[in-house]
Amino acid sequence: MNDRYVVRVEKMEQVTPTIKAFTLSSNTATLEQFGAGAHLTLHLPMGNRQYSLINNPLDMKNEYKIAVKNLGSEQGGSRYLHEQLEVGDIIEVSGPDNYFPVHLEAQHYLFFAAGIGITPFLSMMSYLSTLGKTFELHYAAPHVENCPFHEEITNKYSKQAYVYLGSREEKRKKLKEALRNRKVGTHVYMCGPKSFMEMLNDSTKELHFPQRVVHEERFRPALVIRDPKPFCVSVNGKDLVFVKENESLLERLRNEGYSIPYACRMGICGSCEVTLCEGEVLHSDSFLTEQEKKSKMLSCVSRGVGDIAIDVEQDGSEK
Amino acid sequence: MSNSSKEFPFPFTKDSYAYSNNSILLDPARSVAVSSHYIEEVKLKRNLLNQNHERCFRALPLSLEAQWEVLLLVFKELSTCEPQYFTLEQRGNAYQFTNHLLREVESFSFKDSSSIEVEPLDLAGRHVQEDLIIMGDRHDGLFLEAGQLCFPSNWSLTFVLGMEFKAIHTPVPGITDNRFIEKVERFITRIRPNSAWERKNWSVTITNKLDTPLETYSDWGKLRYNVTEANAGELVNLRVEVQRLYRLPVTNDILFSIHTYLLPLNELISNDEWLKKFYTNVKTLPKEIADYKGISLYKRELMTFLERALTQRKIER
Ligand code: HEM
Ligand code: FES
Repeated sequence: MNDRYVVRVEKMEQVTPTIKAFTLSSNTATLEQFGAGAHLTLHLPMGNRQYSLINNPLDMKNEYKIAVKNLGSEQGGSRYLHEQLEVGDIIEVSGPDNYFPVHLEAQHYLFFAAGIGITPFLSMMSYLSTLGKTFELHYAAPHVENCPFHEEITNKYSKQAYVYLGSREEKRKKLKEALRNRKVGTHVYMCGPKSFMEMLNDSTKELHFPQRVVHEERFRPALVIRDPKPFCVSVNGKDLVFVKENESLLERLRNEGYSIPYACRMGICGSCEVTLCEGEVLHSDSFLTEQEKKSKMLSCVSRGVGDIAIDVEQDGSEK
Repeated sequence: MSNSSKEFPFPFTKDSYAYSNNSILLDPARSVAVSSHYIEEVKLKRNLLNQNHERCFRALPLSLEAQWEVLLLVFKELSTCEPQYFTLEQRGNAYQFTNHLLREVESFSFKDSSSIEVEPLDLAGRHVQEDLIIMGDRHDGLFLEAGQLCFPSNWSLTFVLGMEFKAIHTPVPGITDNRFIEKVERFITRIRPNSAWERKNWSVTITNKLDTPLETYSDWGKLRYNVTEANAGELVNLRVEVQRLYRLPVTNDILFSIHTYLLPLNELISNDEWLKKFYTNVKTLPKEIADYKGISLYKRELMTFLERALTQRKIER
């Protein structure tokens, strides 16, 4: 996967009054392939922003397409993209990466989208159509004018797409109805605002969907600690260890004689895990689950804030 | 030094051996490599495939998309990284792959099964030295869904087809201790699109036989009884598998490639550092791992041979 590279804005299209689509390309580099549900990270003056790729992965002609809703906030990335960016501009990006892959073992797909949450499903629907797999889209929006890609979707997927406009209560009822009486092997994918996702998650639980067939974009990208600070660690309730700003907890512990195993030193393999007993931690790995982060940390990348207490195994086994 | 020595991916970095996640990120991402044994090993693979196709190639229907993705990935990589040996031309959906080392041309239409005679993974594998395995990244785990496997170290593709990652590893001693294999699985599921990780695994083979599947154990397993202190240098080979894990960007599945290298001990011991490291690692190898790798049967003879070499070369133990 490419770390950071530049692309050129080839094209901009106004999709709705608040949504613009951008086509990004390169004359010099071959852009990497991506899967349905993948996203691109844009490095903007105000920080990094992730946007789903909306083109068909099987019909990628050295270009990436994204759609961005202008959220309007003064310092916002979306406002910058809408108001500052012009065709021909160069922007720095990384990826594509995919936290929302479409699982080919599904017998049937139910997609639930609200508003700009439609974007990952655009690549999924065109991909699955090419493969001849069956799916349905259940799409909620306040009005037709605020329903991005409404026309394209209803034309292209007239048999698969259900659009819900009406009142909130009515939408809820219909969305829930759409989940009922599904065959084994149906997978549910959802993307939208928090309340929308919660409502759907509750309904899938109520209807006893196995939670492993219910998908949302779960993994947030790993937090990058830009300006590491020193911190103090109490180890196994006795030793006190001081980690300087320019070293990792793993390095410090190994230098102190603790034989902590390690491999990737990038927060990916989980080898360097230690038990967290007390204190606040900036987790910078992409391995632990949210639940595990409460009681564990990966010593190669994550750092304490102020004072923390940890336990490490003493036997020095490499497993 | 022979080519085999020069190319040999010596696996030991420490003085003692324990299972660990010794994977490193490959930059640039690669899935295969071409060594000086390319032609003979590819011919050997093809013979094995022709004679025992059921044993060497298996695929579930679900793997077909990933198989096509692998075919194109491997052919693109070969033509980009080794342009003197391979070229790939594309016209719309039609591809022509030329293997200049074997003087062969493969023409096919992408994702058109009627345009090729074997399954896509089987075709890709006939142009590389690696064994190629596709691990499907499913909602309930990582499953072995397709493989072209000619050079396994005592395992059977037929047996593991459709099996989940952790289940595949149950024969390995201590593999679940400290949640080791569970962590490895999670590590694999976190590999990012278009990235590749590489690790080395090692074992010992008697004779320079690359194809040691479980199915023919009765033929090659008994050779372990023949090792003596006098013939160990010739008979015993250190076997190293360079394994790569490559996240396929489109299907989101994992390509697992295994490139197997063999080096007879007579060549290995001409490198002092290697001799010493190999000796200390085998000497301190936990009994259950030595048993699992099949070394216990001739460990005494092997140790005597290595100790004699150390003495001759005046290396401290
Ligand atoms: C995802 C692709 C992988 C596949 C298909 C695979 C498959 C296998 C198989 C079939 C065996 C032999 C089991 C037997 O005796 O029946 C094995 C052994 C083993 N595997 Fe894996 N494996 C994979 C990845 C990994 C990774 C990433 C690691 C570690 C980071 C690992 C660690 C091991 C170890 C330590 C052994 C024992 C090897 C020995 O002592 O010779 N495997 N694997
Ligand atoms: S060493 Fe891999 S996660 Fe820390």
